[in-house]
Amino acid sequence: MTDMPRILHLVDDATPGGVTRVLNHIRSCPLMAQTARHELWTVARNAALPRCEADMIVSHLSLSWRGLPALISLRARHPGTPLVHVEHSYTEAFTALNVRAKLRFFTMLRTAYALFDRVVAVSEAQGAWLTRRRLVPAGALRVIPPVVDLAGFRALPAPQGAPRVIGAIGRLHGQKGFDVLIRAFRDLPRDDIELHIFGTGPEEQALRALAAEDPRIRFFGHADTPEAAMQAVDIVAMPSRWEAFGLVALEARAAGRPVICTKLDGLPTSAGASATYVPGHSVRDWTLALQAQLGAKPGPGTAARAGRAEAAFASAWAEMIAGAVFGAAPSQAAQSGALSLA
Amino acid sequence: MPYASIVVPAYNAARTLSETLRSLSAQSFRDLEIVVVDDGSTDSTAGIARLHAAQDPRIRLVRQFNRGLAGARNSGIAASTGALIGFCDADDLWLPGKLAAHVMHLDGAPDVGLSYSGSALIDEDSRRMGHAQRPRLRDVTTAHVFKRNPVGNGSAPVIRREMLDAVAWRPAVEIQRDWVFDETFRQSEDIECWLRLCLRTDWMIEGVPGLLTEYRISGGGLSANVEAQFASWERMVTKLRPLAPEFFAKHEPAARAYQLRYLARRAVSSGDGAAACDLIARAFAQSRTPIAEEPLRSLTTWAAAHATARFGNAPMRLARAVLSAART
Repeated sequence: MTDMPRILHLVDDATPGGVTRVLNHIRSCPLMAQTARHELWTVARNAALPRCEADMIVSHLSLSWRGLPALISLRARHPGTPLVHVEHSYTEAFTALNVRAKLRFFTMLRTAYALFDRVVAVSEAQGAWLTRRRLVPAGALRVIPPVVDLAGFRALPAPQGAPRVIGAIGRLHGQKGFDVLIRAFRDLPRDDIELHIFGTGPEEQALRALAAEDPRIRFFGHADTPEAAMQAVDIVAMPSRWEAFGLVALEARAAGRPVICTKLDGLPTSAGASATYVPGHSVRDWTLALQAQLGAKPGPGTAARAGRAEAAFASAWAEMIAGAVFGAAPSQAAQSGALSLA
Repeated sequence: MPYASIVVPAYNAARTLSETLRSLSAQSFRDLEIVVVDDGSTDSTAGIARLHAAQDPRIRLVRQFNRGLAGARNSGIAASTGALIGFCDADDLWLPGKLAAHVMHLDGAPDVGLSYSGSALIDEDSRRMGHAQRPRLRDVTTAHVFKRNPVGNGSAPVIRREMLDAVAWRPAVEIQRDWVFDETFRQSEDIECWLRLCLRTDWMIEGVPGLLTEYRISGGGLSANVEAQFASWERMVTKLRPLAPEFFAKHEPAARAYQLRYLARRAVSSGDGAAACDLIARAFAQSRTPIAEEPLRSLTTWAAAHATARFGNAPMRLARAVLSAART
């Protein structure tokens, strides 16, 4: 098909991580390719943006005051092209913990979002926050939780026997809250359990010091593949302090691993109804939650494993593209999206 | 449903409750309810509240076994229906325009979730003592709340229910209603809640001009509590630190210094010069930030502590007499 719309995705963060993997999925997913041609351009952060020949331009950029001129210029040079922004970073908890001048920050976000025809939230809670804080007009907001190819995770056999290995997967950064996890784990008396930490980052030395030679806590650095890390653990723990979505939780579900996480931002969307939620970051609460999960019977092997995630993602994008590029009514767009998946 | 609720926690407050309720009934903003929580009083607190309720149907009485100040406030929040919730302890007073000022402020600032004002200090006979809490009103950051607690006291803020709901939780031991204030604290429950609101939500905190609360200082026995008060402040820090370790690593020493300086001033007020000297020395050993940010106040505290240690109450009595003579 040559008449498929050409969708150009702009990204300024090429470091390996959740966003990069989601973008690779957008580019390579056969379901996505049924309704549009998706291309990926990596651009320099806050620098001028190129002129593009596309039916729709999707920004995966990180928004800032410094980046605004480039966005305004992009808008001005593409007045008739639907412009979409996917918000991968900012959330209520991010704002609470990282933003000193809140009004200045909200004003920056309102100004930036106003340049786009659609703003995509990556979780229900983030969408609710964008609406509640009046950052995005209700009509412009879509909620599309991101996804990667989960086939490799679904192919993993469910953990057998009593759970023994707790996994912490992600950048070693204060955001992920692994300091709380290590403290909580160290309070568990059993010596047949282990905490496996996959990832690198600025907090590595501090976390190793916290682990203090506890032989049950092991640091593995980056796993060769995300699936390899998942395969090595029975339970996935995510004491994140903010999390726009939390891809690891979705991958854990696909792999049939129980998830323990904080109840904030996007985690209820990514971890789903079956996860164990800890209300905050109290070490004692986390110790109790880990203890309970380690004592639980392994879940049934027939768990849903996030079976429709990729299809739902492709169909939501198809619907949005249909609405923005062709002006189709949402119901028609939904049908065409559903048909293309059949 | 009234637009605003005022929660009045009352424990053995028979002596002051009438005056408090009169000041609330007299608010110029009329669309309100007043929820008096009798926290297991053994005096005539409940009877007085009923008397006032008979005259002003906007007053309601909730009674419970004693749960402490935080527990009384939580019950008041649960029983109230307004979109805005103000707090007024049963011995403090609101000036007639206070609620109106906060309603107008919050209406015009949709990103602000908590609005406070300065307070004038009053004595046991409700006379203004000439001292006041005049906090910073704008550009208030979480670090500022931690170091200087601009909200000031538990009768100063009016808060959106939405903001309180965002931090409410149900502890395993609780069967009746959620907690907003942490009932395991007997002191520092205010600052614990304000700081948690800052660390857990993206609502802004701002003040309105004026001394719109009259905050009662009851004399006696303060310095005996100083170490207990400091311990509860430390417990608050220990509790909240895991929420934001980097934030605490950066601001804890300065905040602790400010807290010790505050306690030194309390020790001076109660005439305990030795304790005051010890506290102010510990404050400056923690951090020089109070000296850099507020040199005058830090140095007068140091001087007052040493004068009190050397000469007892006399210098402070003299200073107060001179100040009050200058005012009249």
